[in-house]
Amino acid sequence: MLRRYFITLTGAAGLALGAGAAIAQEAPAPFDAPQDVTIALVRYLSTGDFFQAYLSGVETQAEALGVNLRVLDSRQDAALQADMVDQAIALGVDGIIIQHGLTESMRDAAQRAVDAGIEVVAFDVNVENDAIPQIEQSDYLLGKLALEQAIADNGESFAAGYVYVPGIAPLDRRHVAWEEVKTAHPGITEAARIGTLDNPIANANANQARAALQANPTISVFFAPYNEFAKGVKIAADEVGMSADMSIYSADISTADIALMREPGSAWKATVATNPAVVGEVSVRALALMLAGQDPGASVIVPPTLITQAFLNDQDIRNMEDLGEKMPQFQHADVAMADWIALPSR
Amino acid sequence: MNDKILNFAVRYGFLILLVGLIVYFSLAAPGFFGPLSAAFVLQSVAVTGILALGVTCTLVVDGFDLSIGAVATSALMLSAYSMVILEHPTIVAVLLCLGMGALVGLLNGLLIVKFRVPDLLATLGMMFLLIGVQRIPTQGNSIATGMTLSDGTVAEGTFSAAFLWLGRHRFDVFIERLLPMPVVIFVVIAVVIWLFLGFTRHGRLMYAIGSNARAASLVGTPVNRYKIAAYMISGVTASIGGILLAARLGRGDIASGNNLLLDSVAAALIGFAVLGAARPNAFGTAIGALFVGILLQGMTMMNAPYYTQDFVKGAVLVAALVFTFYLSSRRSGAGH
Repeated sequence: MLRRYFITLTGAAGLALGAGAAIAQEAPAPFDAPQDVTIALVRYLSTGDFFQAYLSGVETQAEALGVNLRVLDSRQDAALQADMVDQAIALGVDGIIIQHGLTESMRDAAQRAVDAGIEVVAFDVNVENDAIPQIEQSDYLLGKLALEQAIADNGESFAAGYVYVPGIAPLDRRHVAWEEVKTAHPGITEAARIGTLDNPIANANANQARAALQANPTISVFFAPYNEFAKGVKIAADEVGMSADMSIYSADISTADIALMREPGSAWKATVATNPAVVGEVSVRALALMLAGQDPGASVIVPPTLITQAFLNDQDIRNMEDLGEKMPQFQHADVAMADWIALPSR
Repeated sequence: MNDKILNFAVRYGFLILLVGLIVYFSLAAPGFFGPLSAAFVLQSVAVTGILALGVTCTLVVDGFDLSIGAVATSALMLSAYSMVILEHPTIVAVLLCLGMGALVGLLNGLLIVKFRVPDLLATLGMMFLLIGVQRIPTQGNSIATGMTLSDGTVAEGTFSAAFLWLGRHRFDVFIERLLPMPVVIFVVIAVVIWLFLGFTRHGRLMYAIGSNARAASLVGTPVNRYKIAAYMISGVTASIGGILLAARLGRGDIASGNNLLLDSVAAALIGFAVLGAARPNAFGTAIGALFVGILLQGMTMMNAPYYTQDFVKGAVLVAALVFTFYLSSRRSGAGH
């Protein structure tokens, strides 16, 4: 929190001394004077570990570049988010990152920003605009990699439980992978489908998963493509006493999840994740490329990484920092790069 | 004759519905009927049930507490912060949470009786305040062992086994490892609050305050003290709910607790209808929570999607309110 204000308020003074100076000689305009560049992050979702980590990635990459960052947070208010884009235009920022939001409310606002001569990138929201590159963590791949691991571990025939809440964009994209796998492998059956976003999400899903496991004791694989879901299923498996007989495959990861996956006898066998901090860094780098007149491509995809329980145990990984060290592809994604862009120091 | 039927319907309608529901699910959903399933239903309603009992106490004095969900999630974060980051032992973490609940209740009570802020507004303000304050120490991150703190060090503390025991231990009753600890705590709190409200002088005075505060005050009841006490009971029970939640999850999860609030208020309101009481009562609240829990467990076992569950919860609540306000008024009208 403090750091955010630090960057906004004292950006020009503080950063001229730091990383900004080192890259200034060779960087293309406007990054020959990064202290004069201001970018805005306009957020729709902000509560939770994922969004907190994304923000920290945006902050560290902006700091490494030496630019000023303004964070505008609409806290899930779609109308306010559109107004905040207009605010950013009025502030005269050079670039805008739109983080999540609704297509309907953001399409026109994004167009207004482009019309005002501002470079815009969008993360995980489709604003239907050719001038705006999409930053994506590939949710489809996230689901697909997890399911491939499930098939590698359990064979091509099993009764599965599935957690899904329709209408949530990333979950919908992960759902595509699940439907494909079911079609490709007739031996895989969906014995039960649960899912709720009532919070605390893990607790609410634990109650549902427990009922599902009790009604369908044949379930040997649970596909829970969101870490809060997986946590709920794991609690349920422990309570029903089925942890030894089933495996959980999920998406996303946090420090707490690492501890749960590593518990002795844990049913949570693997997860597939993109480091949200890395996605934040990539968002800023893609925007920087555009500001310098270079083209990051219409869609910038941050590839996901498979993380298995065995890997965590073998490498004795305790938190996200350990994971980044032992798994370099998780710490840094080699996309939207340029010689003149300084990477955040680790 | 008609009066008798109406009387019977108002008194026992909800309990009959409950039995009917159990019979239906037992036939329709394999694995629903049995001690294990019953224990799980009870566990899933334990936390909301405990919160609902607290709300019941504030409803009795004609108040309302919107902050209970936020108190519960604050207790969840506080217990995690205390054990994981400050590395306190279990007893300190539990006492801190209970103290926090009592303090929030006291503040709510003072806002309402001393500063004359209407109860809904005071507790609404407190709710937002708590949702914010619980996130400040960790800058919005959830708390778990191994997390990196803002000063770069790694949190080494863990949820102690004794604390996790509170949420995860299961006692051997009939079969091994059957009865979860939160259920025992839920039942104990329900009995204590039922006895307190129904069979002590204090409880009856609280009902008197609820039906006519001025009259109660004229006969010498310290109305303000009882009101503050009601909010403190509500705060403490909510913090107990939060402790049990933390012990089950094993981490300090960021959550607003709004669903906890809504579910527990629903349970307390459904409780009005049980036995035709037409007023807040602990027995009704416990049955109300159980009713919702049985419905949800049964529907999940039959693979009903989540939105039908919200729909059914709403339908039950509306039906209960009709029982309470329409049928009960007809009954008392007919008695004259």
